[in-house]
This record gives sequence, C-alpha cells and structure tokens, in this order.
Amino acid sequence: MASAGIDHMISLTIFMVAILVFIGFFSQTMQTGIAYERHSALSTKASDLLDGILLSPGIPDNWGQSDNKIGGFGLQDPEFNNYRLSSFSPMKLTSSTQSPVYYNGTYYGNLTAGFGGYLHAPYEKSVDYSTASEVMGINGTYGFRLSLTPTITVLIEKISTTGAPLQFSVDVAGTGFLLSNSAISYSFLLINQDGSEYPSYAIVSGTTTTDSSGSIELPAFSAVDGESQAYALIVYSYLNGLKGVGYYVHVPPSLTKTVVPLIDSFQNRSILIAHEDSVGEPPMPPSSSELNYNTSFIILTEDYTLRQVQLDQPTAFGQIVYGSGSGQDNASINVPDNDGILIVTFKDTSSQYGLVLMPWGLGSMAFPVTFGGDPAGQDWVTTDIRQVTVGGISYQAKLELWNIQGYSRVVK
Amino acid sequence: MAHITIEYMIMVPVLIMQIFLFPLTATVIMDTWVDQRRNLELQEIAGHLGSSIQQLYFTINRASISVGSLSSKLDIPTSIDNYHFTVTFRNATNPSGSTRILNITLNLLKNNVVASTIVTLGENADWNDNSVYYSNSISIINATKTPSVIQLSLVGGST
Repeated sequence: MASAGIDHMISLTIFMVAILVFIGFFSQTMQTGIAYERHSALSTKASDLLDGILLSPGIPDNWGQSDNKIGGFGLQDPEFNNYRLSSFSPMKLTSSTQSPVYYNGTYYGNLTAGFGGYLHAPYEKSVDYSTASEVMGINGTYGFRLSLTPTITVLIEKISTTGAPLQFSVDVAGTGFLLSNSAISYSFLLINQDGSEYPSYAIVSGTTTTDSSGSIELPAFSAVDGESQAYALIVYSYLNGLKGVGYYVHVPPSLTKTVVPLIDSFQNRSILIAHEDSVGEPPMPPSSSELNYNTSFIILTEDYTLRQVQLDQPTAFGQIVYGSGSGQDNASINVPDNDGILIVTFKDTSSQYGLVLMPWGLGSMAFPVTFGGDPAGQDWVTTDIRQVTVGGISYQAKLELWNIQGYSRVVK
Repeated sequence: MAHITIEYMIMVPVLIMQIFLFPLTATVIMDTWVDQRRNLELQEIAGHLGSSIQQLYFTINRASISVGSLSSKLDIPTSIDNYHFTVTFRNATNPSGSTRILNITLNLLKNNVVASTIVTLGENADWNDNSVYYSNSISIINATKTPSVIQLSLVGGST
C-alpha cells in the first residue's frame, strides 16, 4: 500500500514539474521570437528615421540659416536632392560629446575638432536633443544618436624638426581603407610678420598625388621657420567623387593669448571675435591684454584652390582688449552666405603672431558632429549608415536607435 | 484500499484538469505572442507609412514645384495574418503654428490592436481629418500641390 502511495506522489510531482518545464520552455521560445520581432522593427524604424532626417530639409527648410526654432528636423540641403546635406543645419546641432563654452552670459555649443579650429554656436539658437526628438515624434519612445563623420581622414603631420625648412607629410585614408593615388590640393597660409598693425597672410598653393599607401610628403617651404612663425595648412583630397579635407595650425609657443570666434547669429551670419581670456566660466581675472586682429574669408573654388574674400566692413580688423575699462573684448563681423573658412590672424603687444580658423559650413573643415543621447547601457541598439555629402565633403551619417520604453511593453 | 481510493481521487481530477490546463496554457502563451507580433508589425507599418508620407511631402514641397501631383507606391502589407487594418488620418495637437502634425493610427480589425505615429509637416500640408482608409484598398500615397496647400491622401490603384 505504501509503495503505491509513493508511486502516486512521485508521478504527481513529475507531472507538475513537466507542466512547469513546458511553460518555461514555451515562454522562453516565445520571448525569443518577440525579441527578434522587436529588433527587426527597431531596424526598420532606424532606417526610416535616418532617411527622414537626411532626405528632408526640416521646417522651415532654411532653419540652418535662421535663428528661429525648428518645427521639423531634417538636414537635407533644401536646394538639392538625395543625400546632400545642408552645410549650415549640422552646425546648429548641440554636441553630445563636447562641453559647452561660456561667454558673456551665454553658453555656446562646442563642435571644435583639432587645434586652431573653432566652431561654437549659441545654445539658444541651436537645436538640442530633446527638441529634435519632440519634432520627430519619438520623444519618450525612442532614443537616438546621430553622428556625421568625415569619410576621408586627411592627417597632416609636421615632419621637419626645428627651424627652416618646414615640411609636412599627408596621410589620406577612408573608413578602413587607404586612399591610394588620390589627388591632393594644398594651401599654405603664412602670416606676414612684417610689423604691420593688423597682420595679413599669404597663400601658397600646390597640387600633388598620394602614393600607393595613401601618403605624400609635401614640398618643403624653405624660407619658413616651423617653430617661430605662425601658419596653417589646409589640404583637400579627392578621388572618384570622394572628397576630404584636413588642416593644421601652428602658432609659436611663446604666444600666450588667442582669439575665439563665436557664432552670434546664423541668420545675420555674424561672428563675435572674442578675447580668449573673456571666454570661460568664470572669465580669467582681468589683467590687461590687447590683441590686434585681421579677419578674412576664404572659399573653395572649383579647382580646389582657395580664393580669399575680403570682408569689407569696419570691424574686419581692429583691436580687442580684455581687462581694460576702455576697449571692447570682442568685435562683431559678418561673413558671406557661401560655405568657407573664416581666418582670423592676430598679434599681441609683444608682436607674437597667431591665427585661428572657423568653418562657415560644417564641411569646410570636415568637422564631425555627434548629436543625441547616450546609447551606453541600453538593452538593444540598432545602427544604420548612409553616405552623404556636406558642402561637397564626403561624410558618413550613422544613426543609433534604441527603445527607451524597454522591452516589457505589451499589446495595448 | 482506502489509501488507493484517496490517491485516485486526487490523481484523476489532476489528470482531467491537465487536459484543460495544458492547451489553455499553450493558448494563452500563443495569444500573447501573436498579439505582440501583430502589434509590432502594426507599429512598423505605421512608422514606415509616416516616413513615406513625410518624404513625399518634402519632395513636392520644393519651390521648384509650383503645382502638380506626386505619387509613391506604398510598400506595406495589405493585411496582417489575413486580417485587414484601417489607417486613420487625424489632426494632432500642434504647439507650433509653423507646422502641422498628422497623427496616423492603424487599427487591426481583430482584437483591437492599435498602433500610431505622428508626422511633422509644414503648415501648407493638408488632409481630410478623421479620414479612414482600409488596408486592402490603398496602394499609393498621393500628394497634390496647389499654390496654397499640399493635399495628402491614400488611394487605391496601381502604379
């Protein structure tokens, strides 16, 4: 009798366990299927969103050249089709990776990449992640990060050691490949350290081709002291429709002050030339410092040479003073409506010379942009990529998308 | 003998119960899976439809096109698991005067599975508010531009 009872107890237990195991396995299989469907849906959403961003100019369509708030988010150049992006709209995106800078009661976004180049746009006239999410209709549903990265990397290195002559090497590479035999067009900007009150510069241009490893040593600049003089080199590389740009800026180590260009208005194309000491929070303690500056604008011509455009306005050159009651610590200038590069040359009271560059149009100096949230720690992030151009320069647009509602949401 | 009777009295109902419990469990799990899958598919279609409408709008909204009509073939299924769905265009609340927001709601004609998306368009965009389209009768998105508005609709037919 006892053995029959034990048999029944065992069989009942096994039966219950079998039921639970069945439910467990079955549920797990279903959950795996659901997860697959969700990932698939997220991929489609990423593709749709990326096309929505890259193939529409946004609302209004010229928001990149306006100080008004946006109604729709899109980066396409309103005058062109396909994956050709506006040069100006990406400049209004608030970087998610670089800290802002503070000047005169306003925070400025920071898209700067590399020494001697600046790109700061005021937060109040920029587009932040939250606004973009809202106008795209994904606020509270999806998180995203949009990256615009130059497809071609043009790396410039100074290979001469000290003094004259000055020589550079240029290495050109794509994303995972070398750019062999690509055409190179370079422009060397050398400040005329001739004692004039507002320093000017001269441009020396040339063309060459990279070797099979994507490298080239540029001809030496025999009369240039690579240490004590201030200069910049801008190099364009192009091959079969792929275009890239790189730059190099050098100022003497003895130069202790610089100027910082800050975008004041996209609509009026006005730039503030600010004294370095007045930028930051809090600004440097006042100790009188004067800088004489001279501004000009260069645009890229069809044959990849730079054409200088004189900024015909009273503030195109002058003096900015920090720490003195009389002088202004900034000057405002207006740039043309073309893509180009603003060049500010300057010297201090001890005749130390320097220069800074600021792209007007993101592609002019191939600055990258990373915009949006942080995908770290998300359950599942899907990525989609498109090849685009910004101001003629080849970029890779990458969208990372994730569901911020998690994966526990069920049918409504 | 009494013990055996009691044990059978326990086992028999349990075994009978499993006849119902087993398929019931399978049904509940399967229903959950099917509903979630349908909901996901409906959301995917809603998002894709919204993206297509937005791209069509921005294509025809160029200054170079003054008046005219533009169509785009819909790349969405007409049914999900042989169940059709409705597509409803509604005006969504718009905090900004410079844009119009189109709410697209998809409703599967089975189990009331609903998915929606919103599309931000320019102020010249227009559509029939609360217009309902059946998935088996639409195959084209149509945008007709006049000097003042761009009328958006879903129509049948072939391209």
